[in-house]
Amino acid sequence: MAEAMRQTVAKMLTGIERYNPDNLQTLESYVEYQSRENTYDLEANLAVLKLYQFNPLRYNSNITCQILLKALTNFPHTDFVLCKCLLSEKHLADPQIGHIMYLADILESCDFQQFWTRVHSMPELCSQITGFHDSIRKFVCHVVGITFQTVDRIVLAKLLGGVDDQTLKHWVKKYGWREEDNGMVFIANQDENIKTKNITEKIDFENAAAIMAASH
Amino acid sequence: MSYINDDYVENYDTYAYNGSLEYDPHSGEPHTETDYDRQSYNIPDMVKKFLTYFRNCISEGLLFEIQNLYESSFPKLTEQYFEKKPWPDETDIAYLVDEDSVFLILYKELYFRHIYARVSGCPTIEQRFNSFYNYCDLFNYILDADQPVPLELPDQWLWELVDEFVYQFQSFAQYRARIQKKTPEELEKLHTQSKVWNVLCVLNVLHSLVDKSKIKRQLEVYASGGDPDSVAGDFGRHSLYKMLGYFSLVGLLRLHSLLGDYYQAIKVLENIELNKKSQYSHVPACQISTSYYVGFAYMMMRRYSDAIRTFSSILLYIQRTKQLFQSRTYQNDQINKQTEQMYHLLAICLVLHPQCIDESIHQVLREKNYHEKMYKMQYGELSEFETCFIFACPKFLSPAPPPLDATGDYDYVKEATKRQTQVFMDEVRQQKMLPTIRSYLKLYTTLPLSKLATFMGPGPSQNDSRDLKEEIEALIIHLLCFKHKMKNVVWTRGTSGLEGKFQSGSELDFYIDHEMIHIADTKVAHRYGDFFIRKILKFEDLNRKLRMIKI
Repeated sequence: MAEAMRQTVAKMLTGIERYNPDNLQTLESYVEYQSRENTYDLEANLAVLKLYQFNPLRYNSNITCQILLKALTNFPHTDFVLCKCLLSEKHLADPQIGHIMYLADILESCDFQQFWTRVHSMPELCSQITGFHDSIRKFVCHVVGITFQTVDRIVLAKLLGGVDDQTLKHWVKKYGWREEDNGMVFIANQDENIKTKNITEKIDFENAAAIMAASH
Repeated sequence: MSYINDDYVENYDTYAYNGSLEYDPHSGEPHTETDYDRQSYNIPDMVKKFLTYFRNCISEGLLFEIQNLYESSFPKLTEQYFEKKPWPDETDIAYLVDEDSVFLILYKELYFRHIYARVSGCPTIEQRFNSFYNYCDLFNYILDADQPVPLELPDQWLWELVDEFVYQFQSFAQYRARIQKKTPEELEKLHTQSKVWNVLCVLNVLHSLVDKSKIKRQLEVYASGGDPDSVAGDFGRHSLYKMLGYFSLVGLLRLHSLLGDYYQAIKVLENIELNKKSQYSHVPACQISTSYYVGFAYMMMRRYSDAIRTFSSILLYIQRTKQLFQSRTYQNDQINKQTEQMYHLLAICLVLHPQCIDESIHQVLREKNYHEKMYKMQYGELSEFETCFIFACPKFLSPAPPPLDATGDYDYVKEATKRQTQVFMDEVRQQKMLPTIRSYLKLYTTLPLSKLATFMGPGPSQNDSRDLKEEIEALIIHLLCFKHKMKNVVWTRGTSGLEGKFQSGSELDFYIDHEMIHIADTKVAHRYGDFFIRKILKFEDLNRKLRMIKI
């Protein structure tokens, strides 16, 4: 079922068909499908926003909110920025959209605690997206994974949204990290990836040979 | 081909019946009327001879001669006789070319292009409409044929044709958005003739040219080392269609960028490797324009490494071929403007994503005082970012016209640019602390979190009650942000510019272990060897030439 839908949609995105407003209904229901079933299709979503751009009267605030929330779930990819560029001033005046913009801003700034506080204070917004919280946690773990060699358990739990012990254990296991006795979590031996490098210049013999040969 | 095709063809028919009536330059402005009258009786002999000869060359397909006439004779005559006024009306010169309809369409293309570029004041609404109808005629002629039309034009002309087509759309969109200064008649005309310069129409033309020439398939096969002619089909093998197809891809890149759709912009250039010499890349202006838009799109997608790479290679190319762009034509004006814009964008990217670049480009940045701008940006002066961005960005558009009930006070023209600037400035603001962190980390190999927090926190004179724990928490947020922002998608291989892997672009890297920051820096030694070798060889060459000169 998912595959068939994806293929129908893919046909709607080729060539000039992309700009056919008659396709909007199918594309919009595809967005809702993604929200429910926790799948993601950036191109299809961008096509919807583009059709709204060309046909302002067909603009649908609810669908746009869903698209933006789905883009949040694909961090660290810059899908959200791409979506932002297709919205107009008028759309941004909508308070719902404004909330999501703010969420994106704090998420990009990696202010995770503030993010979770905000999200918990408006559960209806994010509840339409299945797997929203977990997708954000994936992003948090991505950033944590490249920044820390060891991190405090309590700090990690806060960054993940105030999760309980069991959930924390689940995420630690998922990323192959290790809980240590002193209340720390070992991430990875970053020393291997992050080393001081000295790049010196290398001149190939061929390049110098031309000069040496000519110096008669 | 699609639902849209009928619309502009329909308009064309309407135009044809009203042709002689609509195309009446008696627009009510007295002095242009008398100019016109004077002109129609006084076409210089040289111009008459030129037009007849030009038409003959085109009908006989003498490509080399056409190129010469197009690139030198036409501009020379323009400068000599028509510097500030239009070329003669088509009805006045039709007898010189036996009423050759194809030639007249091509002539009008040049006629309108000249009006847009050099005739003072903006084109009138009639001129805009008529130019559009002329393009319809031209593209209908090319696309509706069962077999490839027997027309051969130089690549330079074909590129400028497509480029101008997109440019005139851009110009019209901006004109349409300026509702304050419109007369009721103009507004009425805009409303009833809403298909003219409609964005869907422009897209349809570009897509049709792409599809007809099968250029995408050709490029795919070419990129994998095969023979593109094998998949080109009858139309695609013909040079006119092939090159129009290729230039239409660049036209789409530009159009998508103007509408803020950076993803589609880059997607359209699948299978085109930007700085590789290929059978398609003979027009420098096309290469430069392409690199400008691609680099800009990458920058907006936060793919700074890719943007820097794109800008660097084209700027190096421009440095080497500077002499080509010295003469004063509007095409060269555009090239020189884009070059300056690209230097601005490169400066912005280098501030956000410090990276080693070619020494000669560094030199230009130094000589032209870009370092001053970069210095200001590094020290968090947001207004400098905004100024540079606004100078360097394309002239964005919104595809839909202002609503019918729109009042005069809202500035529709500036809206699109404001939007994109906003998105960019949001990104800059999120990255505000990065340069400061970088400058501190550069000084150490290990640094405790608490110490850095104290460096970065407010001074002792301020709110002392903010305790160290809070400051460390705030610092960790900045450090996480640093890592996140410096790890972006970079193209490594593959046919699509959209592909790539996440790579950390920072020369300065770190990780946090317990309460300690461990810092790693990349020290790159200055590369002198390459520079010296190039100069030595150049000098040798000069010497050899000198010895051969006989006085």
